Amino acid sequence: MDRQRRAGFLFVLPAVAYFTCVYFVPLVESLIGSFYRTLPGGASRFMGFGLYERVFTDPVFWNSVRNTIKLLALSVPSTVALALAVALGLDRLTLRWRSLWAAMYFVPFAVSLVAAALIWQWLYDPVHGVLNHALVLVGLPPQKWLQSLNQVLPSLAAVNVWVRLGFDTMIFLAALQAIPGEYYEAAAIDGASASQQLWRVTLPLLNPQVVMVCILELIFNFKIFDQIYATTQGGPAGASQTIIPLLYDTAFKYFRLGEASVMAVFVFVVLLAVTLLQWRIFRRPVDY
Amino acid sequence: MLVAAGALTVVFPFVWIALTSLKTPPEIQRVPLQLLPDHWSNLENYREVFRRAPFSRFLLNSALLATVSAASSLVVSALAGYGFAKFRFPGHTVFFFAIIGILMVPFQSVVVPLYLWVSRLGLLDTYLGILAPDLVSVFGVFLMRQAIEVVPDDYIAAARIDGCGEWGIFWRVVLPAVTPALATLAIIKFMWTWNEFFWPLVVVNSPSMKTVTMGLIGFTNMYFIEYNLVTAAAVVSVLPILLIFVILQKWVVQAAVMTGLKG
Repeated sequence: MDRQRRAGFLFVLPAVAYFTCVYFVPLVESLIGSFYRTLPGGASRFMGFGLYERVFTDPVFWNSVRNTIKLLALSVPSTVALALAVALGLDRLTLRWRSLWAAMYFVPFAVSLVAAALIWQWLYDPVHGVLNHALVLVGLPPQKWLQSLNQVLPSLAAVNVWVRLGFDTMIFLAALQAIPGEYYEAAAIDGASASQQLWRVTLPLLNPQVVMVCILELIFNFKIFDQIYATTQGGPAGASQTIIPLLYDTAFKYFRLGEASVMAVFVFVVLLAVTLLQWRIFRRPVDY
Repeated sequence: MLVAAGALTVVFPFVWIALTSLKTPPEIQRVPLQLLPDHWSNLENYREVFRRAPFSRFLLNSALLATVSAASSLVVSALAGYGFAKFRFPGHTVFFFAIIGILMVPFQSVVVPLYLWVSRLGLLDTYLGILAPDLVSVFGVFLMRQAIEVVPDDYIAAARIDGCGEWGIFWRVVLPAVTPALATLAIIKFMWTWNEFFWPLVVVNSPSMKTVTMGLIGFTNMYFIEYNLVTAAAVVSVLPILLIFVILQKWVVQAAVMTGLKG
């Protein structure tokens, strides 16, 4: 029996050692680093909460937090609503058509975020972009898209919707197909109309998946970096500067590692809160 | 109908960049908009992409990194998945939840200390440095634990009675039983590493170490973008992963079906 215990421990040892080096130790170091300012030459000085005060009173930081929240508000509800609509539509098709169309929705998921952003930057191009050509064709004025203060966040949100729609649709579709047909038969016998069936039967049963997808989208959009780095670089005039690109600039452009660590701790705490909230709402039984 | 229209809309950007990549700059700028290229055989943009940047080197780098990261995460995840699924030992539960807890840690929260470590160890600008945070993923450990959990205990007990060692059981009984899950993990991990951007951007300096995503970004700047080249580079960077995705998609589906059948 003891030999087996040791064997089990040895089987998990490589993974435990790896994650300790790559995640647990650096996470603690991030926390410690947020209290020190690195001086030129490599020495560091203890600052207490000084760096926290500096970051949390910096308007640039709050601008990036505001932009992140705006992006979330634009992109999370639209992704989830669209994915639900598509999944409901796909659910009614025969198997062959369903897999064909579902596969098409899934394609952008396989592409790097850099490529996705550059593809859309070309569609958005103010002079030669196909979107403005289409607007002019139907008699609307051309737009500035990524180069406009007001349109840059909605335009980036649209890219995120495009990337994530297929993935979310797959989750909803799998859940829809798991709903037993008897539920609908019972509802039909009770005289429920199609819309009543949707609102009273289907959507309540999908609730766990909706919550899960909302959280996943929240985290995905919160961590947006590649798309912004590839296209706007936070511009115009900081209108698309979100939190992770700011962290990157602070650490690797200005080498203010202490302040970057403060932001790292901030990001960690926010996502931790969101995830714990998810576990409260949507507690999965884990048996081990 | 709406579903089909939506699907075509989703795919349209790919068609559009493929078309753009075959056009010359004057064709791109033509008014009114011209949908199709004048010459379907115009591959000049692709030639220019490979001339301006060592793009074949980028492709090679990405393929190498993605293959190694898929392989290493297969080995480590399968080992850990087996350990967590079929053994009880002191610290079992703590370790498992600690690893799952990493899902809550955004990579950006650890990137600064990780960068300092990689730099101290002299691994900046090396393959090992680029791979450091990508060798194993929490997702892999979780997936393999779930897959191995449903392998019947009787198989393992029978092999043990027949005198098979723990290592032999792992290789000859457990791994063959979870091939679909292994294939799924390999495909997904390959895709993730191929598409990785943030970390390579942090640790790579020299052009010869760049990955495909970094090479792609080299074709843009804030003021003037040659979209005939950007789109050609985008097609080159996206095509391999799309091919893999389309060809091997049946493995992912099959894995889902099989785990579904096993309940």
